[in-house]
Amino acid sequence: MPVLDPLRGLWQRLLAWDLLPTPGPEGARRDGPVERPWRYYWDHLPKRTAGADFSARDYQDARQRAEEVARTTLGDELWQRLMMDGYLDVPSRRYSGITYRLTIGHRIRVICAPGARSPWPYEYLCINPTYPLPELEFFAHLFLYARDREDTLVRVAAPQPWDQRLGRTF
Amino acid sequence: MGRIIVANRRGHQLVEWNADTDSEEARQSILEAERILREAREKGCAVSRKVGTQHVLDDGAFDPYAEEYQIIAPIAGG
Repeated sequence: MPVLDPLRGLWQRLLAWDLLPTPGPEGARRDGPVERPWRYYWDHLPKRTAGADFSARDYQDARQRAEEVARTTLGDELWQRLMMDGYLDVPSRRYSGITYRLTIGHRIRVICAPGARSPWPYEYLCINPTYPLPELEFFAHLFLYARDREDTLVRVAAPQPWDQRLGRTF
Repeated sequence: MGRIIVANRRGHQLVEWNADTDSEEARQSILEAERILREAREKGCAVSRKVGTQHVLDDGAFDPYAEEYQIIAPIAGG
């Protein structure tokens, strides 16, 4: 009956969890061998955690894999520089004299060259991933945003007066 | 052999395909890789592609002959 079709479609979408937001850890278990975290919401998790289903071993394995992939993402030269200095500097292409200093697991520090003026009222920019990631993995992501997609970084950045560890990484 | 690095709380997981093999299984793996990239982009993720020795963010269409892609988490302030 045609009049029932919309209701049937709605019911099928409900069953497929398209309409009801699904918490991350539960949803990820349905994904099979590869978790797709962008499908779910993660805001309910305590800071710096990946879900109650994560064991100490899971955290350890995740951090180890993150190191491998961060090194692959950055390439050997940048990786060596990061290991030597403990941070990477990315010069802004949008604001003259501004450099973004990226440190693993921390807020971005905005550094001004002499005479340059920061577009933000505070020295630090707080930016998190929308789902939990190991610190090193997200560091590499943030580097790519700062270097290749500065407009996105500028749009989402929350200026803060002090440094602090990020809440959505571990 | 191409691969997608799916960055997630596990550190990362891999989706692999082989564009040099002409079989139904190989075709399906390519379709699945393309589907994952498309879905991630639709949900706000960025995608990077390995160029030389490092990754760069990439808006291009899925290339089955690419060596490596990575799904980059969406970012939010605060």
